Amino acid sequence: MKGLRFLIGTAHLICMVLCLLALPVFLFLSIFSAKYRPLARRALNCVVKKVTLRPCETGLNEELKAASIAGLMKLHAPTAAFVNRHFEAFSLFFTLIFIASFLITAQGLYNFVLYGNCNGPEGGFCIYNGLQNKAFLKAPGSLDGITAGNASAKVVVIEFGCYSCPYTKQAEEGVQRMLARYKDSVYFVFKPFPLPSHPYSMEAAIAASCANEQGKYWEYRAALFAAQKDVEERGDVAVLELARSLNISSQFDLCYAQKKFASFIQQTQKEGQECGIYGTPTFFVNGKPFVGPAEVDEVEAEVQKLLGSS
Amino acid sequence: MALDAEKIRNDFPVLQSQPVIYFDSACTTLKPRAVIDAERNYYEEVSGCAGRSAHRLAKKTDELFTTSRERIAKFINAKSDEVIFTKNTTEALNLVIRSFNYSSRRKIVTTPLEHHSALLPIMEQKRRGIADMALIKTNEDGTFDEFSISQTIDRNTALVVVHHTTNTTGMRAPIEKIIKVAHDAGAAVLIDAAQGVPHSKVDFRKLGADFLAFSGHKMCGPTGIGCLVGKSEQLEKLDTFIVGGETIETVKLTWVKWKKAPKRFEGGIQNYAGAIGLGAACDYLAKIGMQNIEEHEKKMGKKLMDAINSIPGSTIYGTRDAGKRSSLVSFNLKGVPHHQVALMADSLSAIALRSGTFCAQPAADSLGFSQGAVRASLYLYNMEKEIETFEETLEKIAKLG
Repeated sequence: MKGLRFLIGTAHLICMVLCLLALPVFLFLSIFSAKYRPLARRALNCVVKKVTLRPCETGLNEELKAASIAGLMKLHAPTAAFVNRHFEAFSLFFTLIFIASFLITAQGLYNFVLYGNCNGPEGGFCIYNGLQNKAFLKAPGSLDGITAGNASAKVVVIEFGCYSCPYTKQAEEGVQRMLARYKDSVYFVFKPFPLPSHPYSMEAAIAASCANEQGKYWEYRAALFAAQKDVEERGDVAVLELARSLNISSQFDLCYAQKKFASFIQQTQKEGQECGIYGTPTFFVNGKPFVGPAEVDEVEAEVQKLLGSS
Repeated sequence: MALDAEKIRNDFPVLQSQPVIYFDSACTTLKPRAVIDAERNYYEEVSGCAGRSAHRLAKKTDELFTTSRERIAKFINAKSDEVIFTKNTTEALNLVIRSFNYSSRRKIVTTPLEHHSALLPIMEQKRRGIADMALIKTNEDGTFDEFSISQTIDRNTALVVVHHTTNTTGMRAPIEKIIKVAHDAGAAVLIDAAQGVPHSKVDFRKLGADFLAFSGHKMCGPTGIGCLVGKSEQLEKLDTFIVGGETIETVKLTWVKWKKAPKRFEGGIQNYAGAIGLGAACDYLAKIGMQNIEEHEKKMGKKLMDAINSIPGSTIYGTRDAGKRSSLVSFNLKGVPHHQVALMADSLSAIALRSGTFCAQPAADSLGFSQGAVRASLYLYNMEKEIETFEETLEKIAKLG
């Protein structure tokens, strides 16, 4: 009896799985062609029937099985026979894969909405980034931020960055190289854009602004990038220790405790959102956008081009 | 003269345009060009209505419609006013079963092997309390319990409804005996000849049945047209069925004078194109010769049986004696569900088969394939080499089990 129940349950599951797999495929195809709509309806009917523990009457599961076995048979008959004999196991395997991929996709979308990256706080390659496009980025209207270089220069480089972001850190070497080479001919503006996905990114941004107030910004900035992981783990303690290690005056502690630059950072954050920033670092060279550490060299090339043509 | 299937295939446009091995003729047959042309000719050259208007197109329609009825009547050896056009066999069977007079005799005798189209109207008459239903016993191999025929048909039997040839096994019912027993008992006989008229010479007069029903689309004719053939005196006894335009002589608000058959049963504008197409189909089959078709099918049927028999794990339903069946075989393969067999035959070799219970669930129960089977049914255009491909394909599919 138990065995029979298991068999019925398995058959039920297989039927549901085939239809469940077919449903999103046919639904997607039916957007483009009406001929897939009856198939989508049959798949939906089958799924509904199975979910409510009724027999799938559309025969779609049988059609899909027959079509797949026939296709395999044309390629390699023994494989087709093997798959046919163990079709239940293969179906179960694909179900698990389907469920797993569904969950991973859902998690990725959740992360993407919350953190702007499908991998969550860790960041990394995210296929959904393809949904975002540089073409939609808008150059910021103000030059508010932490600045360096020649304020009257014709070429203005604006960076939206996060001290806790590994990609901003990765781009830092190129940024420093540019600053050294073009300090007289380029005006550089850094707009803090702390990403909520990184712990203590806002604290790091406030601390950096406090260090800027004490005239120690670039040293503190370098220290923040160097201790990125430590700041992420220990937060306030690490931020304050960094200031002490650089002999920044006690005014820093007060500035940090009062979160003096919080509203400034919120302002640059808001500005970044209005510009459509979807990842850090994002650079604008006289309004032209460049995204990610991989494009730092292009930033420099653009600067060179603009300087050369002026 | 033996039938040349290869030559005949040239008459069927579908076989020229599609690389298909069509083994589903019990469901519907393919249509020859002659039939398609006859239908198209009606729509392109005539397109009027018969028996109403007096203009030239109406007259031409009337002429074509009338001559088609005559051609069909000739094909089955009946009088033309004994041929009533219906939508299909289902409507013809419903017409008789629902319009028959059960006031003095209440019993309808039938068999478990009938198509739903015959069984359901009888069951409906029973449900409505209009008639009783009794079954002649049949054996698991599809043969009749001969003793049960005379035992079941008695003086209380109004109507006996039985198939000519079943759509589940291709076996022929002992209709001559049933007709004799029924007539001896004073009962009328309605033959479901949907699978009979297309495959063998059926002579209505010689057969002696009171009613005979068949469809056009199973005998190279168009879909949507069928016939009820009835002896004139029996047709006059039937009550009206579908009434309307052209079924009456006179109508007053208090009384109606009905026309005689066949008009009394042909309410409204008829399927003229279908009737003309069916007339053309009868001419087409008659030209080839029903005897030749029957011989060809016997030969093909035996080869088909042998092919299926040779597949390990195959089960054939009905008698194993190929001589007692038409070229129709229902079967299953061990370990491969029937729908999968049919779907894979189509995918692998473009073989068109039917799978399921063939609109005859009680028959499937009785024959031992309640869950369904695969059916291969041939016709005049099928060739031996197609059966060879079918056998090779089945061999491959059977290995999946």
